[in-house]
Amino acid sequence: MTAIASTAGPIMAARGVTVGYGGRTVVADAELHIAAGERVALVGPNGAGKSSLLRALTGVLTPRVGEVDLRGQPVERVDRRTLARTVAVVPEVADLPFAMPVEEVVALGRLPHEPPLTGLRPADEAAIDGAIERVGITHLRGRDVRELSMGERQLVFIAVAVAQAAPILVLDEPTAHLDIRHQVDVMELLVELNERDGTTVIAVLHDLALAAHFFPRVVVLAAGRIVADGPPAQTLDAQRIREVFRVDPALVRLPLGAD
Amino acid sequence: MAAGALPRDLEVHGLAAWVRARPLVVGLAAAAILLLTLVLGVGLGSVRIGPTETIAVILSRTFGLDIGVTWTPATEAIVWELRLPRVLTAMLIGCGLAVAGATFQGLLRNPLADPYVLGTASGAAVGAAIAVLLPIQLVLVEFGLLHGLAFIGALGSAWLVFRLGGKGGAGGLTRLLLTGYAVGSVLAAVLTMAMYVSGVELRQIFSFLLGGLGGSSWLRLLVAAPLILASSLLIMTRGRSLDGMLLGDAAARHLGVDVGRERTILLALASMATAAAVAISGLIGFVGLVVPHVVRLLVGPAAHRVLPISAVAGAALLSAADLGARLVGDVPVGVVMALLGAPFFLVLLHRSRSGYEL
Amino acid sequence: MLPSDRRRGVALLLSLSVVMAACSGAGASPSGAPATASAPSPSTAVATPSATPAPAFPVTVTDDEGTAVEVAAEPEKIVSLTPATTEILFAIGAGDRVVATDDGSDYPEQAVSLPDVATFSSVDVEKVVALEPDLVVAGGLGFTPTDAITRLRDLDVPVIVVYAPSVDGVYKDIEMIGTATGTAEAATRLTADMRADIEAVSGAVSSQSPKPRVLYEVGYDATTGAIYAPADDSFVAEMVTLAGADTITTGDPNTYEISLEALIGKDPELIVLGTNPFYSPTPDSVAARPGWDALTAVRNDDIRPVRDIEITRPGPRLPLGLRNLVSVIWPDVTLPAAG
Repeated sequence: MTAIASTAGPIMAARGVTVGYGGRTVVADAELHIAAGERVALVGPNGAGKSSLLRALTGVLTPRVGEVDLRGQPVERVDRRTLARTVAVVPEVADLPFAMPVEEVVALGRLPHEPPLTGLRPADEAAIDGAIERVGITHLRGRDVRELSMGERQLVFIAVAVAQAAPILVLDEPTAHLDIRHQVDVMELLVELNERDGTTVIAVLHDLALAAHFFPRVVVLAAGRIVADGPPAQTLDAQRIREVFRVDPALVRLPLGAD
Repeated sequence: MAAGALPRDLEVHGLAAWVRARPLVVGLAAAAILLLTLVLGVGLGSVRIGPTETIAVILSRTFGLDIGVTWTPATEAIVWELRLPRVLTAMLIGCGLAVAGATFQGLLRNPLADPYVLGTASGAAVGAAIAVLLPIQLVLVEFGLLHGLAFIGALGSAWLVFRLGGKGGAGGLTRLLLTGYAVGSVLAAVLTMAMYVSGVELRQIFSFLLGGLGGSSWLRLLVAAPLILASSLLIMTRGRSLDGMLLGDAAARHLGVDVGRERTILLALASMATAAAVAISGLIGFVGLVVPHVVRLLVGPAAHRVLPISAVAGAALLSAADLGARLVGDVPVGVVMALLGAPFFLVLLHRSRSGYEL
Repeated sequence: MLPSDRRRGVALLLSLSVVMAACSGAGASPSGAPATASAPSPSTAVATPSATPAPAFPVTVTDDEGTAVEVAAEPEKIVSLTPATTEILFAIGAGDRVVATDDGSDYPEQAVSLPDVATFSSVDVEKVVALEPDLVVAGGLGFTPTDAITRLRDLDVPVIVVYAPSVDGVYKDIEMIGTATGTAEAATRLTADMRADIEAVSGAVSSQSPKPRVLYEVGYDATTGAIYAPADDSFVAEMVTLAGADTITTGDPNTYEISLEALIGKDPELIVLGTNPFYSPTPDSVAARPGWDALTAVRNDDIRPVRDIEITRPGPRLPLGLRNLVSVIWPDVTLPAAG
C-alpha cells in the first residue's frame, strides 16, 4: 500500500473485484495488491474462489464489479501479446491430440516472443533449454509428453511457463500430482525464480505447509472473500486454520517462526 | 523420476531419430518426389509419347523455344492441354486437402479429423446433386453449375456447422465435431433422396462423388489455384497459433493467441481450400487425413514443419495416385491412393511404437 | 481391359435407363430436342434430289442436348462412343470412316476389331485426341461422362451427343448423324425403310385382340429380388406396345424397378425375357422365383426369351427387334416380309 520510492505501485492489483458465473458470485469484493518481486500464495478450502480470483487477475474472467490492473493499466486493455509476455500462467495439464516431444511443448512457451514467421531464434532456444534444466526435466527430453506420468507432465507444463520468461508467474495448484520430493523441488524453483530473477510469483496452493514454508505472504480466501493477507505466521495461525479450514491445527505442520 | 537410462523401447533411436532431427531432409525428399511425379505425369499416359516430343512441346509452349523436334497437333494437345493441367491440378488438390486436413486436426484437436469433418463433403455433394437435377444448363468460364453449386454447398455447410456448433469455443470442440456429423448426416440424407429421385442423372452425381481429375483444364486450374494456394499460405503463416491451441483454449490464450479469432480464420481458410478442391475434383479422401499424420510421424507435430511438408507430400501423393489411375485404366483415384498410401502408413505406425505414436 | 460380366449387365441397365428415363422432366438438359440441321448457305443440307447436290459442309447440327455443333468439313475420322451410334454409322455408310469405338460396340463385325477408347464408365480422352478425329458421337444423359465431352469440345473436336427417348427419337438421331457425316441421303433412306417396316409389323398386330398383358423383363437381381421392367413412356415400353401388347410398366417414368407386389397386381399373362450374353435366365428359373407362381404367366408357363439387343438398342436394327418381339407375343401371326 505504501509506495516504495522506486516502484510506481503494485505490478498486479485487484480492486474491489467481484466475480461470478451465471447467477453465482464466487468472489466478492476482493482487494489484492501485489508488488513486483513478491512471492504470494493463495490458499483456501475448496470452492473458496481461489482459481476464479486468479482468472480475474490474469484477465481471463471479467469482474462484474471492480477492476484488475496490470502495471497500472486495466488488464482488459492490455493487448494479448504484451499480456502473454508479462504474465505467464502455467497451463492446466491437458491431453494432447498428437505425440509431442517435451522440448516442443516447452517451446510453446516462447509463442509470445517469437516473431510469427521466422520461428525460434537462439534466444528462444536458450530460454527453452534453460527452462527444461531449471525445472529438472532434462532427462525427459525427446520423450512424448503423452507418455509421461501425471507428475512428469506437470513439470513439463511448469517449464512452459518458465520458458515464457515473463516478469509474473502464475500457478494454480502446480503440485497437485507431484510426490513430496518434486513438490519441494517445484517450491524451491519458485523461490529461485523469485529471489534470483526477480519474478513475481503468485501461486494457488492446497498444501498449507508448503505455502507457509515457502511463501512470505499468504492470502487466505474463504467463501469468496479474502479473510487474511500477510505473513503465514499471522494468516495461518491456529485459529484461522480451525475457522477457515475446519481441521485440527495440529494436523498442519507449520514452520517454527515466521517466514 | 530417476534420471538416467530409459527403457530401451521408449527411446527414439536409429533411423527415426535421424529423420526426426532433419525435417529439411524430409521436405526436400518430398519435393524431389513431387518433381518426379510431375515429370512422369506429363510423360506417361495411355498414349505413348516420346520424351523428346514431350519436352519439346513444353519448352515451346512455356518459353517459345524450338529445339528442332517436330510433333503433331494431337501430341501437343495431349501433353499441354490434357496431361499438364491434370498433373498440376492433382498437385494443387493434394496440397490443399493435406493442409486443410492438418489444420482441422490441429484446430479440433482430433487426429481423426479430415477436411470434410464440418460437413463440407455432404454439402458439396448436395450442391452438385441440385445442379444436376435443375433443368438449367449453365457454363461460365468452363465451370458448370455443378462446380459452382458444389463450391457453394461445401462452404455453406461449413458455415452452417460453425454457426450451429458454437464455434468450438464455449460449446467445446466436441460439440463442433458432433454438429459437423449431424449436419453432414442431414445433407447426406437429402443427397440420397436426390439420387433416388434423379433416376438416370444418378450417374453424373455418382461420378462426381467418386472424385476424379478427368475434367482438369488450364482454366479450372487458374481459377482454383489462387483460392487453394492463398488459403494454404495464409494458414501456414498462422501455424504457431495452431500449435498454441494444441494445449487447449485456456493455455493458448495465456500464450497470447486470440483463440476465437484464430479459430474462425483458420476454419474459414481450411474450408475455402476444401470447398475449392471439392468443387473441381469431387470428393477425394485419404489425402487430408493420412498425409498430415505421416508427416507428423516423420518430423513431429510443429505446424511450421507439418504444414509445408504436408502440402508438398499431399501434392506428390495425389499426382502419383492419379498417374497410377490413368495408367491402369479405369480406377478411381481414391482407390489408387488408398492402395499406395495405406500400407506405407501402416508400416510407419508399426515402426513408430518407439515413442511417437499417433 | 475387359469388363466383367456384371459390369456389362449394369452397363446394359444403365444404357436402358438412359433411354427409358430420358422423358423425365428432371434432366440437366432438355429432352427430346429435335435435331435440326441448318447451313449457312440457303440450300438445306438434308438432301433433296436435285441436279446439283448442295454443298453439305460446313453444317451446324443441334444435338439432343440442344448444343449447336459445327462440323466444318466432311469428317474423315469418326469416333463413336456408344454401341447404338456405331451401328447407325455403319448402317448409313459411314462405317469405313469410324476409327474407334467404345468397348461395348459389338455390331457389325467390322466394329469389333476397331480400337476401344471408352468403357461404360469412362472415356480415354488421350486416346481419342491421339486419333485426331473430326467428329465424335457420344451418348447423352451421362452415358458418356460429361467431363470427357467438355474436354473434347475444349480441344475443338466436334462432339454430338445423342439419346433417343422414343422410336421417333431414333429416326431423328439417325438423320442428324447422317447430316453430320455427309450421308444424309443414306440416312433418310434408312429411316424411311425402318419406319415402313415398323409400321407394317405393328400394323399387322394392331388389330389383334385381346392384347395380352406383357411383362418385358429387362433384368432381375436374385439377391435382392429386384425386378427391372420398362419405365413409363420409355423406349422399350413403346417397342412392346408397338408389338401389340398391353405393356406392363413400372408406373413411374423415372424408375425401371417394379416391386413384386405391384407386378402381381398387374398380373402379366406373358413374360418376355430380354436376353443377352450376360443375362439369360431360363423360363424354369423364372418360374421358380419365390412368389412368382402367383402370376398368370407363370402358372400357364408363358415365359419366352427373346434377344434383347435389337429391341433395346436405339439403332438401325429396331425393325428386327420388333419382329422378334412380335413373334414371341403373337407367334401365330404371319408378318409381312422384311422390306
